[in-house]
Amino acid sequence: MLVFYNKITCQQTSGDVCKFLHPKLFHLLGGGLSADNMVHLSAHNKRARDSKYIEQLGTYDPLPNIYNEKLVSFNFDRIKYWIGCGAHPSKPVAKLLGLAGFFPLHPMTITDAERRRAQAELSAAAGAESEEQTEKPAEV
Amino acid sequence: MAALGAVRCVFRSCSRVKNVQKNKQTLLQWSARTCCSETHSTGDTVQPQFTDPAVQDILSRITGLDLQKVFRPIKQELKPPTYKLMTDEQLQQATQRAAEQAKKLLQMPPVLPERKPIDDVLTVDTILEGMDTAKYVFTDITYNIPHRERFIVIREPDGALRKATWQERDRLIQVYFPKEGRKLTPPLIFREENLKMVFSQDRHEDVLDLCLVQFEPDSSDYIRVHAATYEDLEKHGKYDLLRSTRHFGGMAWYLVNSRRLDGLVVDMLKRELLDDAVSLVSLFHMVHPHSQSAQEAASQQASGTDLLKIYAQKESQRSGYIELALQAYEQRAAEGSSA
Repeated sequence: MLVFYNKITCQQTSGDVCKFLHPKLFHLLGGGLSADNMVHLSAHNKRARDSKYIEQLGTYDPLPNIYNEKLVSFNFDRIKYWIGCGAHPSKPVAKLLGLAGFFPLHPMTITDAERRRAQAELSAAAGAESEEQTEKPAEV
Repeated sequence: MAALGAVRCVFRSCSRVKNVQKNKQTLLQWSARTCCSETHSTGDTVQPQFTDPAVQDILSRITGLDLQKVFRPIKQELKPPTYKLMTDEQLQQATQRAAEQAKKLLQMPPVLPERKPIDDVLTVDTILEGMDTAKYVFTDITYNIPHRERFIVIREPDGALRKATWQERDRLIQVYFPKEGRKLTPPLIFREENLKMVFSQDRHEDVLDLCLVQFEPDSSDYIRVHAATYEDLEKHGKYDLLRSTRHFGGMAWYLVNSRRLDGLVVDMLKRELLDDAVSLVSLFHMVHPHSQSAQEAASQQASGTDLLKIYAQKESQRSGYIELALQAYEQRAAEGSSA
């Protein structure tokens, strides 16, 4: 659940016209049944991550289903409202919203993708080398 | 976000229909949608649609209203029966109310052209290639937007952001907004080989009810299952199975559009439903105004048995059969009037 929480922080954003005096944060809440491994998106500022939240704004299931899909849902109407009230997303939520196309792409998503590709190339090269090595003794 | 906003505008320009509900309001919405989307105009005349009031009137008349069949025992929650003591007048009123209830139950499900497949790619971000092995499916769960307008986008592992196909849309809307009776994967009964087995058991009506609950009316599966059912009924002549159910109108419409009325007309004459046969033939003339029999009938201003005779001569393949049946009907009518 994407959830909101009323909490004081020192990062008061200027130009905050919202009636609620304190800026909020929406983030991923770990929890739910360990069996289905659902991670709920929730929000807080200074409260413990899994405690009482204001509102659930969506869900995220990190395990792919039988169609190899990771299901994410967002209540865009409410997200827009809370962003209008001056709330900020946490990093993983911002990444998900960037992937969805609602936000621009998060730079860490791109960096992660590049790192993975570099890793894949390295392992492919290493695999090719080890194959050559196993072939040479076979020839000899 | 801009891309999403633009897409939303495109979506909002289409019609607003939520999901298949069995009430008149939705029927009217469906009719508005068919009126504004496609025009099957052949020359000067506009093709009569399924939702035209005249067409609906004819189809509901030939469906019949057999209260015994409409209110036959169906599988429902077990309640002890209630007994009431009524005067004749009260009984009449109760029967009238039952007839009205039956009319509501007999409301025909919509007949729509097949929906066009969605293959819209919103953006391709090749820099994201290889970020993950699985697809990300993003659904908008805002409560008060119709399901047809909901945003469901998929981010592929190669970085492309595309709209979900109709099958994926149906499945995901069922996940987040479950509808009673609908399953995530379509039941195995809708496969070809299983359909044949079910048809051999004369359970066409159950299949059509299940199909109505499971699929959207303009999905390819819905149209396929309905076509298969109607074909089977027409092949074996088992029209009476659907009489007095909500699917009879759909079947009649399908046969009229494919010009294969003979079996149905013969069946009606056998059961001495002359009015039904006449209205069926007049419906055929409405839908195909350029056919020979239609023009002949219009020129002669025929009605009743003459209409049937014209149809039998001009249009049908089994004209001999129809004429025989007509003669037999007239004989019986003469005997009945004389006796």
